[in-house]
Formats: sequence, C-alpha cells, structure tokens
Amino acid sequence: MQITEIFSSQLPVGEKLTIKKGRFEPKEKKPDTKRISIVSGTHGDELEGQYVIYLLSSWLNENPDAINGIVDLYPAVNSLGIDTITRGFPIYEVDLNRTFPGAKHDYLPGQLVHALAEDVKGSDIAIDIHSSNIFLKEIPQIRINKEFSPSTLPLAKKLNCDFIWIHDAVTVLEATFSHTMNEMGTKTLVVEMGVGMTLTQAYGRQLLSGILNLLKSEGIITTDEEFEQREPFSSEVGDVFYINSPSAGLFVQSITHCAIIKKGDVIGTIVDPLSGKIHHTIYAPSGGILFTLREFPVVYEGSLIARIFGESHENN
Amino acid sequence: MKTIEILRIDSLNRSPLIVEGYLFEGSEPTAPSVAIVGAMEGETILPLYTASKLVDFLRHSLDDESKIVGNILVIPSVNHYALNINQRFWPLDKTDINTMFPGYGEGETTQRIAKKLFDALQGYTHGIILETREGISTCIPYIKLFESGYEDLKSAKKFGYRLIHHKSLKPTDTVSLQYNWQLWGTKAYSIICPSDTNIDLNTSNEVFDGIVNFLSKNKIIRYKVLSGYQSTIVKNRDIEIIKTSKSGIFIPTKKIGTTIKKDEMIGKVIHSLEGKVTHRIFSPCDGLIACIYKNGLIFENAVAFRVIKSG
Repeated sequence: MQITEIFSSQLPVGEKLTIKKGRFEPKEKKPDTKRISIVSGTHGDELEGQYVIYLLSSWLNENPDAINGIVDLYPAVNSLGIDTITRGFPIYEVDLNRTFPGAKHDYLPGQLVHALAEDVKGSDIAIDIHSSNIFLKEIPQIRINKEFSPSTLPLAKKLNCDFIWIHDAVTVLEATFSHTMNEMGTKTLVVEMGVGMTLTQAYGRQLLSGILNLLKSEGIITTDEEFEQREPFSSEVGDVFYINSPSAGLFVQSITHCAIIKKGDVIGTIVDPLSGKIHHTIYAPSGGILFTLREFPVVYEGSLIARIFGESHENN
Repeated sequence: MKTIEILRIDSLNRSPLIVEGYLFEGSEPTAPSVAIVGAMEGETILPLYTASKLVDFLRHSLDDESKIVGNILVIPSVNHYALNINQRFWPLDKTDINTMFPGYGEGETTQRIAKKLFDALQGYTHGIILETREGISTCIPYIKLFESGYEDLKSAKKFGYRLIHHKSLKPTDTVSLQYNWQLWGTKAYSIICPSDTNIDLNTSNEVFDGIVNFLSKNKIIRYKVLSGYQSTIVKNRDIEIIKTSKSGIFIPTKKIGTTIKKDEMIGKVIHSLEGKVTHRIFSPCDGLIACIYKNGLIFENAVAFRVIKSG
C-alpha cells in the first residue's frame, strides 16, 4: 500500500496538519481499472469508519493477489478534529460536510474539502462512512439522494446494511461530499451506523462484508470467499417516523436499539431527577423497525429520541 | 413599548430560555415597519450590544412617542444559552440557529426555535439581522445581501455603510434567516458586525448610526441624522483574497478600514518558536482592508486579509 498526503498545512506551533490517503492497486493497471474511494472521519466525533477502514486495509494486506482495482482509503478527513474530539473543523467550528466543494482560495476548511474532492474525483464509486453523532445510535444504513438513486441504489443493496433511506433532494445538502462527488460523476453512497465517539465492532464487521461484497461484484477484488449480503429494508415501501422529545429532561431508554416494535410500545421515558417524576412516556407511533435511538440522555424539547421505519401512514 | 415573549424553551437544569422582543408601536398604522434580530449566536457581542442600545434609544432618546412612526420590533438576543457560556452555537448539539430557517415546529430544538422566531417576524416591511462573519476574521461593518432575486440593493444603501457585499448564494445560505425572510416578503438585510468580543465604541456607534439612518430614511422614525457613506456595492470578483504562505504568529501592520496601495506591507508572520519573520504580506492591489484574520496564531494558507480592490 502507498500512503500519500493529499493535503497538508503547517500549523502555527511546530506541527503539521495532514490528510492522508492509503492506496491499494493491482500489480498491473489497465485503462479500465476500476477505482473506489472510501472516506471517513469528516466529522471528528465519528470513529466507526476508522475501524471499518482498518478492517478493510487489513483484509487487502492479507490478500494482495485478490486486488484487481484501485482502492483508495481516506480514514481521517478531519484528522485534527478526530484527535481532539471535535466534530467540526477545530477553531473554525465549521461542519466540513457542509463546506463542499470548497475552492483553492477558500478559507482553510474550504481548501481542505476541495483537496479531498479533487483527489477522489475520477473514482467510479465512493463510500462516505459516518457514525451519526454522540447523541444517536443508528443501525447500519445507506442514505441516498433520490436524484442519484438510479445509479447508487443497486450498489447500496450490496453493502450488507439493514436499511436504505432514499430521501428527497434538499438544497442545503448540495454542500455535502456525497452530492459533490455524485455531481462530478462518482457514484457516491453515504453509510450511517453506530454512534459517535465509539466503535461498534459488530457493525464494523457487517459493513466490511458489505464493502468486500461490493468490491467483488464490481471486479475490484477477485476471491472465492463469499460475503454476506443482507436484504435491506428500503424507505421506498414505507414511511420514516420521527419521535422528538416533548420536553426537557433525562431520557431513559426502555427498548433495545434496532428492535422490531409494535405501535404503542414504550420507547422510553423523560424523567426529572430532582423531583423523581416521569414527565413523559414515549410510545411508538407506528410499528416497524427502530433504526435510530437516542444514546445521549439529556434532552430539550425537540431533541430527537428515535426514528422508526414502518408502514406508510397518512398522519405521519 | 411592549415586551412580548417570542419563545420559551425549558432545560433540564438551566433556567428556561425566554426570548423576548421589544415592540414599539408606531403612530401611523400604514407606515413601513421593521423587525431587528440581534444575537442568534453566542460570541456575537456587538449584535447584542447594538440591539440593546437601540431598545434604550427608542425608549428614552426620542422625546416624543409620535416620532416612532412605524412599528419596530427589536429582539436583542435569541441565544442566551450560548452567550452565557461563551459558545458560538446552540450549546447541546452545536447547531447554528441561523441555518434552521424557516424552522419546523415538530422538528429538533433549534428548528423549533427558528420556527417560533420566524413566526414572530412575519409581516414586517423590513428585516435587519445583526450578525458576525463566519470563520476567524473580523471586518468593518457592512451589509451582506444574497443574490437571491428578492434583494433590495437600493434600500440597503440607506444604512450608509461603506460597503454592501452582494454575495452569490451558496446552498447553505438557503436555510438562513435573511434568505427565508426575503422569500416570505420582507426586505431583509444582514449587518455584518466586527466579531471582536470587546466593545469598541467607535465601531459600535458606526453600526448603531447605520440602523438609525435606515429607520429615519425609511420614515419609520422621525429623527434627524447625519448622512453616512454612499455605499459601494461589492461583488465577489471585487475582493482580493490574501493568504499567508507560512503559519506562525500573525501580526497585521494595517488595521481594518485602512486604504492601502499596491505593494504596501500590510502584515507579517513570525516563526512561533524562533521569533524570526518568516513571511511579509504585501498588498497585490490598491484597495480597502475590509477583513482581517483575528487570531494571533495563523495556519498556513489561511486567509489573512480581504481587500476591496480599487483603481
């Protein structure tokens, strides 16, 4: 594997900020050699992608003869944020995934994302791995913009995830990595899984199988090994229900993440530690799969508690 | 003057966030009206100070209530929670209220705050938002108007600031208060204030006088003012971006608002451990320094100056 720096900036006091890329490539490259780029750590508090890329890098190291295409790995886009537990780009406090496509003469976060987009440009496929944030835990899922779904949905189904969420185009999301790369002609998928600031190893292994499955089906690796490919739920055939906290308090879970639940099941309670009282009991508004559940207990009115994928309902 | 509650959000342990507006009812019901929004972020001291000073001015400095002709609503702070702990964004999830418009009453906390605020801001002829720049820079006071198709450049000149930045619209701007307010029929303007955390009276007076100019020239108040500048409209192509090729300790040698000549030295960078000058910054053009990087330590290739080109 070759390791290169795709962006560097000398920091003010005796340190260099670098964004690194690891590249695996076949011994002989052909003009039609396919290329995939796997990106993670755009948000400094999301670490699940680091683990997946470690697993993938390890597999490729052990199977060098299987490699038929180019696999580029960018585990830590916001490297400074990851090492300082900072979601946004430190000091500037900006969300790098709302800064694309950036520009050479932009401010520093804009220069960084520009360098990434320029480096990934030309890939046939890109996968951007996120792990929600510190507040919410997500089952392994793919998020797809409806605009690009004809080309990305078939790829998403190979990634061994549990849920594919196809969402409408939203203007503000045009500043994301995935939108920018899809516009540039790279079929780009967004994975959300796990929770911020931790590693969910089972999810990491699940996504590794999915990525290897995709690489195999695209001819980027050749191997006799079989990889798991789950049949995901798809938001095309149902509705996503959002459950937000009706008041401030401490959210106490009553249910396991990723559970199949029935309408009326108790998801949790909002309690007041001082008075010892329950402010609210949160019930499921629909049956279905609970694919998002709040991990961080402190809530305000409106804080997201859970998301359920269930049957379409006109009142949703 | 009436004090009206715009919104209330409870917290697990903090006092409730109660956002209030100060409504000054005008003497002429058909006169144009204005709503003014102060600090939506923490660390926005000048917006807070200017808005609160305006409340005091409208209450005490106009000797006759009939001098307030059109309705004026002033909301000095929306984000007390961030201001009180010196954070920039909503303290729990670090979201920016000014990226949540038009808001959503059933959504996340800051979407709900934006919705309640936006509801209270409907129906005004003009809307003024006091903001600071994103990023690590400070600037002279200026008007930011998006190229949205709804903007009113002619009215923006009535503030009398030196510059109006007529800015191309980015995707993330479509969820800002200014854009959505315009979309809903109010002529909205953002006043970009210097982002200093201490109050400089000269600068704050300039921001304040601009608002009073605007109110007077639009006949929302009767108050004799001294005219400000004939504002220059600036497009992105009129701005020279000057970066540092070295990181280190940044020392600007010219102040914001200074007119400079081509090849004039405007700043330098010092090696942070060895003290030597590693980079001198010279202006590539004649112009006006509108923005300067505000931290003492600067990254490599960071934008140090934004100069409005002249000549």
